Amino acid sequence: MKDRLLPYWLLIPAFIIVLATTIYPLAYSFITSFRDWDLTESRRPGGFVGVENYAYAASESAFLNSLWVTTVFVVTSVILTVILAVALALLLRRTGPMHTFTRIILILPFAMSPALIGVSYRFMFNPEFGVLAQGLGAVFPALQGVPWLADPLLAMGILVLTDVWHWTPYMTFMCLGGLASIPRETEEAARIDGASNLRIIFGIILPQMRGVILVMAVLKTIFALKMFDQVVTLTGGGPGTSTETLAYFIFNVGFRWFDMGYASALAWILTAIMMFISIWYVRMLLSERKMATA
Amino acid sequence: MAEVRLVDIEKKYGSFLAVPKQSLTIHDGEFLVLLGPSGCGKTTTMRMIAGLEDITSGDIMIREERINDKPPKDRDIAMVFQNYGLYPHMTVRQNIEYPLKLRGIAKAARTKRVQETADKVELGALLDRRPSELSGGQRQRVALARAIVRTPSIFLMDEPLSNLDAKLRVTMRAELKHLHHELGVTTVYVTHDQMEAMTLATRVAVMREGRIVQLDTPKKIYAEPADLFVAGFIGSPSMNLIDGKVSDGVFRADGVNVPVDLPNRDGVVLGIRPEELEITDDATAPIGGQLYALELTGESTLVTLRNGPVSACARGHADFEAEINSPCYLTPKPGARFHLFDRASGERLDGVKH
Repeated sequence: MKDRLLPYWLLIPAFIIVLATTIYPLAYSFITSFRDWDLTESRRPGGFVGVENYAYAASESAFLNSLWVTTVFVVTSVILTVILAVALALLLRRTGPMHTFTRIILILPFAMSPALIGVSYRFMFNPEFGVLAQGLGAVFPALQGVPWLADPLLAMGILVLTDVWHWTPYMTFMCLGGLASIPRETEEAARIDGASNLRIIFGIILPQMRGVILVMAVLKTIFALKMFDQVVTLTGGGPGTSTETLAYFIFNVGFRWFDMGYASALAWILTAIMMFISIWYVRMLLSERKMATA
Repeated sequence: MAEVRLVDIEKKYGSFLAVPKQSLTIHDGEFLVLLGPSGCGKTTTMRMIAGLEDITSGDIMIREERINDKPPKDRDIAMVFQNYGLYPHMTVRQNIEYPLKLRGIAKAARTKRVQETADKVELGALLDRRPSELSGGQRQRVALARAIVRTPSIFLMDEPLSNLDAKLRVTMRAELKHLHHELGVTTVYVTHDQMEAMTLATRVAVMREGRIVQLDTPKKIYAEPADLFVAGFIGSPSMNLIDGKVSDGVFRADGVNVPVDLPNRDGVVLGIRPEELEITDDATAPIGGQLYALELTGESTLVTLRNGPVSACARGHADFEAEINSPCYLTPKPGARFHLFDRASGERLDGVKH
């Protein structure tokens, strides 16, 4: 064996693993999305039906509902997470024992499993014995006995809350990294030039954080688009279909109703949305770099 | 125009004493340089004047008004930072305009002042660029323009030239000096570069470990350093400092015999500047040894001789040539002076015979 071939031989196992676990399922699901395949009737995919699965999606109200639910969820969750993370990072960027301690315990929500978060919030918002439901009721009498997870709007609110609670710490750390890269002199110069604290944050610090905030927003968008675990364990998509996100809907189509062809088509629609956002994000980021280094 | 007085100011970080209690008066219109090695407290002192650093105790007075508790923006100061501190997301115009905007000056007046200031520092053509599109020297000019556009009564400059290359530094130094002459604004300037301090300053405060060890005109500091530290810090090449002892009215070290007016004692350091020594063939010259190195600097040759632990350098004629290791003698030029210091305390000792 020649030495120059050795690297390729060494790469082959990794290549096969990637092929088998990523490329093959992707390609297979893409092909399946153009076929009729009811898992209750056959273990093998049925015949090709062209774009019928995609066309059906465009007219099915359940799918359109999940698309709407996902949009509402993504927009609120991303905006809230980013704003909170930036605010927390601004509070935590100073160094000192208390700041360091707070930073350390801040990571805990992110370390929790999303499914577990869903279960615990479900318990905490139980109108009869949930600690949050009871606590809120005790502080605000008007909130006594509110069936939190039985109300479409409130259920969505709590779903967003769990996600914001889960992701804010991680986003705060990203933001802290970005803040650390801003030269301290710009802030001090602004202070001497006569800027108030608010002006320094909005006029000097945040504009320099544009790139980091953009990355945070796009990453959070992609994660939010895939929202699944908490839906399963917190609301089960309900009440009704009011918290049925796209990922949860796809799961139902595929593994409850066993319509694999349609589920594959839906999965590819979700993939296309995420690819579109990713490409847009990379382009924004590149132009940002160009501006910074020009 | 303003006089700045630091009265018994002190700065502690926890238990670490950064600047011990001391006072300093900066006269109206003066160019005062705080000079010292890194970590000597000079930047901390300046940042206390700026209001970017709290004072542990003492008072800072500007125009006889106590400003300890005033925020930086109300101290009527402007500051130029080592890393420029420009706002990267703003154009040059917006950078210079920012302090005016914050002070609520009308648009028309702002535009006019920005243009005038930019012209003064030769930035007129670059107003619509961003800082990232400028060279180091141009960025430094933007920082300067942003400082002078507001016509503050005090300028604070924190090593403004140290990020520039050597050639540009000399040019900018002259520009700064000219600017100070033109505007006449009280300026406090921090640097570790003794050359900058000597060329720019009305007065220099040499600092060491937080303390001002000498405060005087550059001329006086050069001619009469207060202690061993200042003697070694000021001047390039630095002053020859020779360890020895005094016996029978003569300072003695290997190959060195200089008559002095001191009682017998050990632990004495003799100092003399290289530019005040000349090379001679006279074997009875006060300093003798073997030629160790010749360094041509262009306008002169630095001649270093050694004799045991003693090493001495003289600034000789550019044409001077000799064999390395050949005997070599140095004698003071007419009007030159020797300095004497105590080895242990570094203090200056009087008693040099002229």
